[in-house]
Amino acid sequence: MSKHSALNTFGRSGNPAFTKNFDNAQTFSQTERMTLDGAVNKTAILLALCFAGAFAGWNVPALAMPGLIIGTILAFVTIFRSPAKAGSTAPFYAAFEGMALGGITVFAEMQYPGIGIQAIGLTFGILASLLFCYKSGLIKPTENFRLMIFSATMGIALLYLVSFIMSFFGSGIGFIHSNGLFGIGFSIFVVGIAALNLVLDFDFIEEGAEKGLPKYMEWYGAFSLMVTLVWLYIEILRLLMKLRSR
Amino acid sequence: MNAIFFGILTIFSLFVFMNLGKIKASKKQMDRDDRINWGSKRKPNFQQNRDGSKIIEGRAEEVNDGNQK
Repeated sequence: MSKHSALNTFGRSGNPAFTKNFDNAQTFSQTERMTLDGAVNKTAILLALCFAGAFAGWNVPALAMPGLIIGTILAFVTIFRSPAKAGSTAPFYAAFEGMALGGITVFAEMQYPGIGIQAIGLTFGILASLLFCYKSGLIKPTENFRLMIFSATMGIALLYLVSFIMSFFGSGIGFIHSNGLFGIGFSIFVVGIAALNLVLDFDFIEEGAEKGLPKYMEWYGAFSLMVTLVWLYIEILRLLMKLRSR
Repeated sequence: MNAIFFGILTIFSLFVFMNLGKIKASKKQMDRDDRINWGSKRKPNFQQNRDGSKIIEGRAEEVNDGNQK
């Protein structure tokens, strides 16, 4: 590693959270390093907090909107401002996002009873099956794979943003929310992209543990997995609602 | 029935995640040349003058005119 800061920052990835830490791995002692065990345990803690938040949101649906807003702010803070402090922001993110999911699920359940447990089962089913595919080497993420998933994710985010802005003017992109074949096809595509983002998260955690990143990156890896799981759950819920409304 | 099936699926999937997640990925996955390099877009090679500078890693040695032929 060069001692020159200009060289250290030269030619790095666009993601500020990942790049700063991967190349400083050797400066940490063995006990301060990221491990697979640690990342999985921290994901379990975040999931438990998310379920606790969801319980609160389920019983008090009015918590859904504040939970969504605060959770989104915390997500942006964790990604862009303080990945090293993910240990303190990620648990709050999980709890607030859980509140939002609990409230959203109540509304979905009122319309289509039993839809919540279906969405939860499918989300974790996809998580487990993709983890198996990744660990066994059936799915091999490459740079092209990452580029493809990143582009598709950004495209979807842009489409949602445009639709959100258009909704203020009484308009919108109709097919996104429709329950027609095109709308369902779009939802299946989004679920697929959200699911493949999990593979990128697995690869990030695996390589982080292999390279011996600092311990706090366990929290960051768990946080990134949580963000993807939350997105996947919402998209599966939307897909199931479209299917049930036909 | 619906709740039982998806409830079992959820618990089983979480069990798989908690156990499989702690195991290292297979060699087939890890020993590849085309793995994602999360650290940088290009593999950093500081031996080359990638930014055009004249920085050379290592100890500096004094050069005097007497050494030149």
